[in-house]
Amino acid sequence: MPSSPLELPFQMGQVLLENGAEISRVQETMERVARAYDIGGFDVYVLTNSIFATATEDGVSHSTTFRYVPGTAVHLGRIMAVNQLSREIAEGLHTPEEAMELLSDIRTLPYSPFLSRMFCCAVGSAAFSFLFGGSWVDAVVAFFCGLVLEGYLDFAAKKKLSKFLTNLSASALVTLFGAAFFLMGLGDNMDKIIIGSIIRLVPGVALTNSIRDFFSGDYLSGAIRMLDAILVGGCIAVGVGFIIRLLSVLTGGALL
Amino acid sequence: MTWLMAAAGSALQVLVAFVSTIAFAVIFHAPRKELFFTGLTGGTGWLVYLLAQAAGSGVVASSFLATLALAWLSRVLSFSRKTPVTVFLICGIFPLVPGAGIYYTGYNFFMGRDAVALQKGLETIKIAVAIALGTGIVQSLPPFLFHRKKR
Repeated sequence: MPSSPLELPFQMGQVLLENGAEISRVQETMERVARAYDIGGFDVYVLTNSIFATATEDGVSHSTTFRYVPGTAVHLGRIMAVNQLSREIAEGLHTPEEAMELLSDIRTLPYSPFLSRMFCCAVGSAAFSFLFGGSWVDAVVAFFCGLVLEGYLDFAAKKKLSKFLTNLSASALVTLFGAAFFLMGLGDNMDKIIIGSIIRLVPGVALTNSIRDFFSGDYLSGAIRMLDAILVGGCIAVGVGFIIRLLSVLTGGALL
Repeated sequence: MTWLMAAAGSALQVLVAFVSTIAFAVIFHAPRKELFFTGLTGGTGWLVYLLAQAAGSGVVASSFLATLALAWLSRVLSFSRKTPVTVFLICGIFPLVPGAGIYYTGYNFFMGRDAVALQKGLETIKIAVAIALGTGIVQSLPPFLFHRKKR
């Protein structure tokens, strides 16, 4: 092992947390790996944005902390890969060095390519616009809004825009586009177009993870994520509402 | 004939939900071999949602029942595919997440219709709570319910 016996379980936990795993999974994975390698006195405490772990080796105690600001990046593929690795470690298939190498491969698992994400965001927007009662024309318009949205989100991520500003501006942008198309006579229901397009922003991941944390007894982390979900949801509502109000003032109440 | 039309319409909707769930799975970088299964959970959730609505449930109750079914399937899949539940749950839940509620809340709030905004906001929160209860209950059930016994 490199510097300390904590290194491997610790880094595995870090990868899980950064990519959107729930607290209990992070904790269990770290403990499982520590047990597999007979790390003594292993203790770990995980929060939504930090990990604290201690262990003893040859009578010397080591401790590590890790802090991280939760972003919007969720990578289910990496969570899956770490999960698989921890199973294999528990079965005794890897030495710590091998596991460390496998982990660094997992860290660099690629993201879905930008163009396919853009296409998927568009398809998702169109599909939700249809599911919520929009017409075919609405779905087509939502498709274009989805393209714009993912493009903007990618730009915002590159510019490291804060999460709140990103959600606020992205929902405003999508509303602007949806309403503009609608005012040009494209689309039958403005609300269905915009609803379809903002689903990409709705904090489904935060909500789901928050619930999972609550029900496994991690109340603090659950509360943090719930607050996150509520604030992001509020940002979206404000972004949408602001633009609609603005347009309705500018167009003399035509948008109703 | 009308029920046939309705059935065809519902089948189309379920298919659309299936596709949209896969689209979100790609956005969240799920591995390709799990995409089909994430789609299944999303489609199932929407199917149950439609059935519940057809049986006369409101939006909140329908969301609750749909989430129960979806979370159940996610756990079954997680055992059979040896994959974290999160992968199926996060993607499959998207069709049920109250995006429409957020929209109508923001819309009415800014248009000065406070009563409607409050009502829509409350409904949004109710749906979120329904989803929470649905996934939470299934998560708390003991594991033996979700996989056939080995040996």
